[in-house]
Amino acid sequence: MAPTASTTGPDFKNIPHSHKLPVTHREVVRTLSKLSRPSLISLALQWLSKKNRDFCRPFLFGDEDPNLEDELEDEEEGEYDAAHSFEELQETYKELAARKGGKKEVLDRILEGDWRTGISMYQLATAEIQHLLDHPTALRWTAKRLARIPNSKSAVQDMEVTNDSEHLPRFQAQTFMMNLAKELTPLMKAHYLITRIKTIPITILRVYIHDSPYSTEASLATTTSSRDSAKAVFFVWPNGSPFVYVSLATHLGQVVGDNGRHLRNVVQQAIPKAFSRPSARYQLASTNFTARSLSALLAYRGPGKSNAAAGGWSIFADHSFSQNALDFITTQKSAALDKSTAGKEGATPGTKPGPGRPKRQLEDSETPEVKRRKEVAEGRFGSSAKANDGRGIERFEVRIDDPFPALPSRNGHQFEETSELDPQPAIRSRRGRPSPLNRTATEAAENDDNAMNSWVPDVKVVFTGQHVFAGIRELVEQGVIDGEKMPGWMTGEAGVTTGSVRNGRIRGKKGGVLGL
Amino acid sequence: MDTIESLDSDISDIRAQIASLKARRANLSSIVLSLPHLSTHISQGRVADEPQRALALKRIAAQQRRITENTYRACAGATAYKVRDPDPHAVNNGHILGVRIEVAIRGRFIETYHVHFNRPNPRYKLMLKIHHHTIPSCIPLQALRNKWLPVTDKDKSVMVEQKLIEFGKTLRRELVAWHLRTEAVDKLRVEAGLGDKGTREKEERETAVMGKVLNAFVSSDDEDEDEDDVDQDAESQRRNAHEKIIDVDADMGVREISIAWSNGLTGVFGVTKDGNIDKAAVTTSGGVRVPEVARRALGRIEGLVQRLTA
Repeated sequence: MAPTASTTGPDFKNIPHSHKLPVTHREVVRTLSKLSRPSLISLALQWLSKKNRDFCRPFLFGDEDPNLEDELEDEEEGEYDAAHSFEELQETYKELAARKGGKKEVLDRILEGDWRTGISMYQLATAEIQHLLDHPTALRWTAKRLARIPNSKSAVQDMEVTNDSEHLPRFQAQTFMMNLAKELTPLMKAHYLITRIKTIPITILRVYIHDSPYSTEASLATTTSSRDSAKAVFFVWPNGSPFVYVSLATHLGQVVGDNGRHLRNVVQQAIPKAFSRPSARYQLASTNFTARSLSALLAYRGPGKSNAAAGGWSIFADHSFSQNALDFITTQKSAALDKSTAGKEGATPGTKPGPGRPKRQLEDSETPEVKRRKEVAEGRFGSSAKANDGRGIERFEVRIDDPFPALPSRNGHQFEETSELDPQPAIRSRRGRPSPLNRTATEAAENDDNAMNSWVPDVKVVFTGQHVFAGIRELVEQGVIDGEKMPGWMTGEAGVTTGSVRNGRIRGKKGGVLGL
Repeated sequence: MDTIESLDSDISDIRAQIASLKARRANLSSIVLSLPHLSTHISQGRVADEPQRALALKRIAAQQRRITENTYRACAGATAYKVRDPDPHAVNNGHILGVRIEVAIRGRFIETYHVHFNRPNPRYKLMLKIHHHTIPSCIPLQALRNKWLPVTDKDKSVMVEQKLIEFGKTLRRELVAWHLRTEAVDKLRVEAGLGDKGTREKEERETAVMGKVLNAFVSSDDEDEDEDDVDQDAESQRRNAHEKIIDVDADMGVREISIAWSNGLTGVFGVTKDGNIDKAAVTTSGGVRVPEVARRALGRIEGLVQRLTA
């Protein structure tokens, strides 16, 4: 599959789906060997299905070069005979699916047998997406929001909610892909795969970055100077929402180099441009949310009801607060509650006991004090922050902007609205990624204004763990944290993973509505 | 082996029976509790056990409250309630005004949405700010808020008028319209013979995890030579009556419906919020527009499939 001489010059094309990488290519081996046996088989069957055949051509009997046959016989032919037709291959993989066995068997068959001539870009992309769906916590995602750039002309228009007004950016895959390719091809060659996932309401775009002016197979196969950098970027659009999740496709333990980060930024900058239309320009705004689990992202920055009802407010999103308007039964609710608490108590000893005193915990699991603490936790966290709900956040980071409490605080109640009403719209739009680790100059000035003579120490609190808020909930249930005096941001109700706290509350976006 | 299995099935049978009996008991007890004049009977009649009487009265009161609440909710569509924010640092002592919007479709209450307001400014007691809410992001909540609940700048001395009633009304209209559109698209699917949402989702789960690849065309530059065939193919098929509709899809907010035919025709239809199709574009797989089909699509969203297949 050597490229013909006519196509070796630099060009302005994308990398087509059908371009093949050699089976020994590092990306190919890495990606495919991460997949489980059932995933490999289902992928192979998808590749063989009629609509994908053009992009994933396997090695068939007819492809064998009769002249080369003798040479190849020793090294390659041995184990796998080339199939005669697609149907025969499909049967083979169906048979493999039906019986048990190791994944190595399937992997070898794919790499050394049926696709020995190379794995196409399309196959690589689908394999990587398959891995992402199998392991939804494999990557670290940053949630961004596509925000309309305010325009003096359209400002009035934006306010109106008419019969055919549209407040979300229109996502049209074809147009979007065309615009994106237009933005990127002068800078780099890339392979794009955009797919709508059916099991979860998201659309995934994978951009395989090929840092080379050539779009030929030969140039793809040679590894570029950046040795081990991540080559693909994932973007996820939850359907029907203004958010975008961004992630570099890294392999386990792979370091994200500057090069990879830079290429990701290039693609990321092109995304809002590809969305923009004349008179409706968009930019990516930070939403202060980073998490590994896709379901956490969908819960906090998704299309559904739970975006702005996190923490204790989750009871409003999942019907546990208000029954159906025609449900008149009052007596059953208490029974259901009993059951759920009983179930929880049964589960508590199974969870990892706190260091030190596992015995006492078992002893006093029935006392009214424990029951009360559980009720307090229920009240503060509602139905959220359960250890096994799969919506874990790994890192939660806040900066405390309150003045040091030793001084008598005059402004406790008087200025309660300050965080919402500071007239600084210009700064808001420019602030790209407010890191809690360093205060911006304006924020420092604000602090000086509001807390004239008081001392505001630089305090940051970082929570890390598998599921931060479930952990805090458990601490409340154990009595380590006083559930009633605990500030609201510790329940996760602000729906951010980084933020700054003033007056005991996470400072919100000025003039914005939570979760939008 | 056999006995274990039969025992298991027995246990699950009994569990199911217990559950249904419990539901029946709850139902009957709430019927009893909602009998008129029951509380007078109990409070006046003689009872041996005084705590039991108090308990009974408490239950009756709870049932009465539920009946009143449900009646208002069912009849008004949007109701207000008060909740308390447990956060010790909450503004205004955690007093929260909740607005609950019911959405009823085809004689069923299918969804309840909540918006919670607090009063951030102690000087202007009437000024409300959205605290938390459960409105999906395909509803233009931000725009509605900007229009009906503007937040007064703290430097300004005059308060901008807020219209909570108008806000509730428009928000409810948006929500109900969205549900009606979703419902209409589900109906279109059934009319096109594609099965309703439930069966569709189940099928999809059974087939491929990977969804539809949306840019299967973008990089297929080398397939150019086939295009003429395809074009002619589509052209000839276009003359024929339209074939089966194989896919009816809509975006989350149901502002755009896309339909695919088995002969490669695809159509995209823009939908207004009240359910009119105001824009339509139908193209063959070769990219040729088919204006006559598009023209037929314009009109109400209901009956789109009939108009297209007629």
